[in-house]
Amino acid sequence: MAALIEMREIVKIYPNGVVANDGVNFSVDRGEIHALVGENGAGKSTLMKILYGMERPTGGEILLDGQPVHFHSSNDAIAAGVGMVHQNFMLVPSFTVAENIVLGQEPLRNGLLDQAEALRVTRELSQQYGLRVEPEAVVDSINVGMRQRVEILKTLYRGAQVLILDEPTAVLTPQETQELFAAVRKLVDQGKTVIFITHKLREVKEISNRVTVMRSGKVMGVVQTEDATRESLARMMVGRDVFLQVNKPPVTRGKKVLEVHNLSYVSETGRTMLHNVSFNVYGGEVLGIAGVEGNGQTELAETLSGLRPAATGTASVNGKAILNTNPRTVRLSGVAHIPEDRLTNGLALTASIDENLIVDRYFRPPFHRGLFIDYKVVEKQSADLIQEYGIRTPNGKLPVKSLSGGNMQKVIVAREFTSDPALLIAAQPTRGIDVGATEFVRDQLVKQRTDGKAVLLISADLSEVMSLSDRIIVMYEGEITGVFPDAASVSEEELGLYMLGIKRQTKEEMEAVL
Amino acid sequence: MKRWMANPIVRETVRIVAAVGLALLLGFIITLFVSEDPLNAYRSFLLGPLTRLNRIGDWLEESITLIFLGLATAIVFKAELFSLGAEGQMVLGALTAGVVSLYVPLPPALRLPLALLAAMVVGFLWGAIPGILKANLNANELVSSLMLNTIALKIYEWLLTFYIKPPNAGYTASDFFPKEGVLPNFFPPIPGLEGVRQTLVNQTNLTIMLYIMLAAIFVVYFLMYRTPFGYELRMVGINLKFARYGGVDIKKVIILAMAVSGIFAGLAGAHLAMGIHTKLILNITFGLGFEGVVVALLARNNPLAVPFTGLAYGYLRAGADVMERASDMSREMVLVIQAIIILLVTAERVLPMVQKRIAASRSNGEGAAAAAEGGSHAA
Repeated sequence: MAALIEMREIVKIYPNGVVANDGVNFSVDRGEIHALVGENGAGKSTLMKILYGMERPTGGEILLDGQPVHFHSSNDAIAAGVGMVHQNFMLVPSFTVAENIVLGQEPLRNGLLDQAEALRVTRELSQQYGLRVEPEAVVDSINVGMRQRVEILKTLYRGAQVLILDEPTAVLTPQETQELFAAVRKLVDQGKTVIFITHKLREVKEISNRVTVMRSGKVMGVVQTEDATRESLARMMVGRDVFLQVNKPPVTRGKKVLEVHNLSYVSETGRTMLHNVSFNVYGGEVLGIAGVEGNGQTELAETLSGLRPAATGTASVNGKAILNTNPRTVRLSGVAHIPEDRLTNGLALTASIDENLIVDRYFRPPFHRGLFIDYKVVEKQSADLIQEYGIRTPNGKLPVKSLSGGNMQKVIVAREFTSDPALLIAAQPTRGIDVGATEFVRDQLVKQRTDGKAVLLISADLSEVMSLSDRIIVMYEGEITGVFPDAASVSEEELGLYMLGIKRQTKEEMEAVL
Repeated sequence: MKRWMANPIVRETVRIVAAVGLALLLGFIITLFVSEDPLNAYRSFLLGPLTRLNRIGDWLEESITLIFLGLATAIVFKAELFSLGAEGQMVLGALTAGVVSLYVPLPPALRLPLALLAAMVVGFLWGAIPGILKANLNANELVSSLMLNTIALKIYEWLLTFYIKPPNAGYTASDFFPKEGVLPNFFPPIPGLEGVRQTLVNQTNLTIMLYIMLAAIFVVYFLMYRTPFGYELRMVGINLKFARYGGVDIKKVIILAMAVSGIFAGLAGAHLAMGIHTKLILNITFGLGFEGVVVALLARNNPLAVPFTGLAYGYLRAGADVMERASDMSREMVLVIQAIIILLVTAERVLPMVQKRIAASRSNGEGAAAAAEGGSHAA
């Protein structure tokens, strides 16, 4: 069977000299689900932007159904039946779902938008492809999963035969992911072709027929999914063996570092998000917090790190009170914090890597001498950390926004781990980063713990919590509902029951093990 | 495309020069329609400021004010604070500098530094007010700084009218400052060059404020890019949440940024009073306070670029003055041309298009670049 899409010897060199694609050959058959995998910065997105007409290749050619095509813009690609759903949705928040779907090719009546027709088309498409949406809801008010379905429907409305989905599951919950996969299968059943960009190997195995693996701008191989294992794909992506299991040497628990007592937090809108939370974290242990997102974990991390005021309670690090002080005091008390939202809190995107690495230490020697910041020391530290943490960048002068997601996270990790903390709060430390970077961050977390630091790990990835933690507590609706002193002896199902609020331990049971 | 285009400074300069060129062309077209003698009118606009020594002096004197104001504005803008309080800080700077020059019975060696210092202090304090309001009450700095401008202006007018103006004077102004309160000419009394100095003293009011301005440029540069405060200022401007997360005291930065900015606006006021007018007059600022915004924007808040944009903008204003006086162009038309130039230079969208083409043709390799130079798809 002739390939539906064939990209030959694609080369893309950006004006700043970055070679994003280096002679890439990529082909997709009609009616297949083709996974395109690779670490962040491997060139997947660039390749797809070229296919979608958003970027012009420096060299190479694209064949669609055997015919060479030249897309000068994404409109050309759409006209040829190629559609793309981006990671960051491009919807008009104040418009309804139906209005967003028809935007650009609106059905008109008397020169105005035909609302009834827009609703009808939306319902019809939604039904046909099993993508559940509320046509009359305003986009601002719908959740991320539905926004994504709106984007897909919009692409279908424009007549896409080939859909490029750029890391579609990065923003979805497990349930939403399953729903998306069902829809993708339905699309293919109805004759569409799907290119699925991801770096989650479990999903590759689950959804795709064929996989193309990229690394450093080149294709490392194309395999049938059934012939590949997660390990073999990871090896192709990273270029070496990847240990998906964490190696955790035994350590004896040290002294109490963090002590939290009756901590409550009330949001600005008056909702109690944390209710009388008490726990301790000891040196040499990882305390994992499991829970469905939105059950108070964010608030817990941010009250402890000084970013939010607590309503009641106390918290101390090595005896020093930290609650309701300020981030500087908390940091000086020995707390480091990998924030959940790295783009909002963790980094200044247009500032250089150098300057992002000193936000917690620019005012102290050796960085601050006399009147000035000693930028020689800053650059030296930066060069060392880039080396040590494997941050992929030509130098530290570049703005952080030029890095891939995984490398941005490494900048944060490098800064927080080298502040010599007593307590490390790690919130969603591997969210949205690639296999290699994930492995690295997890190893570093365990290393901190093995070195005697206290680690508070908050993660929505249950397997991450289970494999890294020594002890686990479960949070449900702002309360601790379960304490598991031996993380190795608890099953995923058991934790799930606590996370969903079906089971909960009594106060006495918890106190007995805390 | 050419390698030198890769240099951001070169690209930025090309961007500005091209925008100015386009704007001047548009200005000329307007002049063609409005003026009986467009060539002469436009020549006086373009070359007027350079035709006489006193006009060069006028241009440079005003540029000094603009550069101080540009520095003041760059500081607050760098922290993403949209404070427009320079006008008020400047008028109070002029007032205090004037009062010290007029009334403090000290020899020049002490009176002049004291006057400058007083202007800086009052600028600092007046600037701190909207900062404190913003930091503690979350009062919008744009509104509060504008309100404070009005208050400052009225204080100035009230004191000038009822206390400073000599009772028998026919118009509202102070006496000329005594010799001890006037800044010396920038040209030092070098033996053998007394003639040159005398000419300069007669024709211009260019004082040692020139050197203070040069120093100020470097002070602001080092403050912004080399000190912990400058780091805090920039991080707050780039991402306030990041700064807070990292432990920066946001309130302190907001208050200090506005206050420090006031120091330079205060110096601009001192320059008006002690350098240019050598007395206090009504409307001493002529609304110049807001022109600092243009200077800072053109310089992209980079203190090292401020002197260039300040001189350029000062030239534009000086040229407009000459054109108004030397031709049949009305003040209003002159202002229209000026505004077009500013619009085009500040419009971020005009030349990035060209830049994008250049970047695209560069990334398409030598072949495309050769084609572009051959004119087949020139930008």
